[in-house]
Amino acid sequence: MSGSPLASSPLAVQRGILGAVILVVCWEGLARGLHLPSYVLPAVSEILAGVWSKRALLGEAAGYTVLEALVGYGLGCLIGIGLAVAITMLPPLRAVILPAATAINSVPVVAYSPLILLWFGIGVASKMVMVAMAVSFTVFLSTLAGLDRVDRRAIDLMRSFGAGRLNILWRLRLPTALPLLLAGMRVSTVRSVIVAIITEMLGAYGGLGWVIYQAVLQIDFVQVWSAIFVASAASLSFFGLIGFLERKILFWT
Amino acid sequence: MSIGSTASLVEEKAAADLRPTGLPGWLRKALRLLLGLTATALIWEAAVLLFGIRPAYLPRLSTILMAIAATPGAYFNGFLRTSAETLIGFLTGSAFGLLTGIAFFRVRALREMIFPIFVVSQTIPVIAFGALVVLWFGNTLLAKAVIAFYLTFFPVTVNTLLGLETVDPKQVALMRSFGASNGQLMLRLQLPTALPQIFVALRLASSLSLVGAIVGEWFGDTTGLGVLLLQAMFTENVVAIWGALLAAALLGTGFYAVVAAAERRLVFWSAEQ
Repeated sequence: MSGSPLASSPLAVQRGILGAVILVVCWEGLARGLHLPSYVLPAVSEILAGVWSKRALLGEAAGYTVLEALVGYGLGCLIGIGLAVAITMLPPLRAVILPAATAINSVPVVAYSPLILLWFGIGVASKMVMVAMAVSFTVFLSTLAGLDRVDRRAIDLMRSFGAGRLNILWRLRLPTALPLLLAGMRVSTVRSVIVAIITEMLGAYGGLGWVIYQAVLQIDFVQVWSAIFVASAASLSFFGLIGFLERKILFWT
Repeated sequence: MSIGSTASLVEEKAAADLRPTGLPGWLRKALRLLLGLTATALIWEAAVLLFGIRPAYLPRLSTILMAIAATPGAYFNGFLRTSAETLIGFLTGSAFGLLTGIAFFRVRALREMIFPIFVVSQTIPVIAFGALVVLWFGNTLLAKAVIAFYLTFFPVTVNTLLGLETVDPKQVALMRSFGASNGQLMLRLQLPTALPQIFVALRLASSLSLVGAIVGEWFGDTTGLGVLLLQAMFTENVVAIWGALLAAALLGTGFYAVVAAAERRLVFWSAEQ
């Protein structure tokens, strides 16, 4: 997002690193200086040591969660984009799909998890469905906003040259919608991992949410924090990956 | 590279898209709403009966409403409790977001140091955080409100900052030349300019704070919509799950509508209306 007030310059990067270092030092100092018990706040070094010593367990759990998040994310994007394109191609559908989607979304997505767990069992399928639900609505709205943003005159121009609906969709609407569509996809990345973890907490055979829940039950808070660190790293890399692809695809902005 | 700003942008476009246009009078709106609800209820009821959908998937709406009517106390108390958590989390989160947004706008170094940490904080799965918060604050209403707060503040920070950035420097220079102080500048020019952008975030935050309250209740509590959901799941009572879902939908849309109404009041000049 060049030109945005939040864009980073070298100085900003230095200050960002400085901020992170200050946070870590304060955290470490607070935890060690006040001898805080680990159920209140473990030191960063303890957490990192915890991540390293439990790397096999955490790695496996992260793989499980990332798989759920990725499959659900892919499904959600397909559904979201598909619905938005369908509405644009067949305008009468809009009056049906838009209110239905809004109604479904009026309940916070996480509230559906008990229902989805009952329907799809506590295996990976229920997590994928939850992630897909969470992702599809955001992607649907952003794609639709993008598709609707097209200049009427450009459509009229293409039509006057004899272009059909498909042609207009492919050559004009989709490229115009791409920046908003990809922004919606990027925003959804972090949410997809979080929703997968939340659903795992309510019932799962594995994954980071399951590890966190077990650790809470065993009052092992170093492990809770280790899992949090791993989950955060997974979300950030997913976010970074989609952001990178976005910049590659949107080379003209 | 900001998670929230684009989220809010998306939200804004979506909201602009969904807003009914050219409907004078609240009565017509209310009628339309009532009509829509009745139609949905009829379609729901008819679909379940016609297609013979098993109650394990989708019970009849009348069954759900009757179940709610049978134990109105639990739903009513849960509704109140969750509303209180949501409201406290929303208010504190919005206030914190507004203040940090202004602080980041005023002090660039502060923004560059702390903003990345804010971004990272949003990737922490809230449930993991929830377990810790309940441990820190005990199993109280406060703990749930803290979780709601945690989910709420970030979009408000981002949009306050973005909104303040859009102020025309020439207007600032003009007001300065008339001797306006920093405070006057903020109250008379910068905040009003940022207000539409801030409200986009507040609308988003209204639903996020509800998520925080519901998820927070999963860490052990006795009243609340989240508790009702969880209990219903453990007893595999699909009707009760749907009852809690309907209550959550009512709370979510109601709260959203209040924020949107406040927006129409306060941002009366917005071009979107």
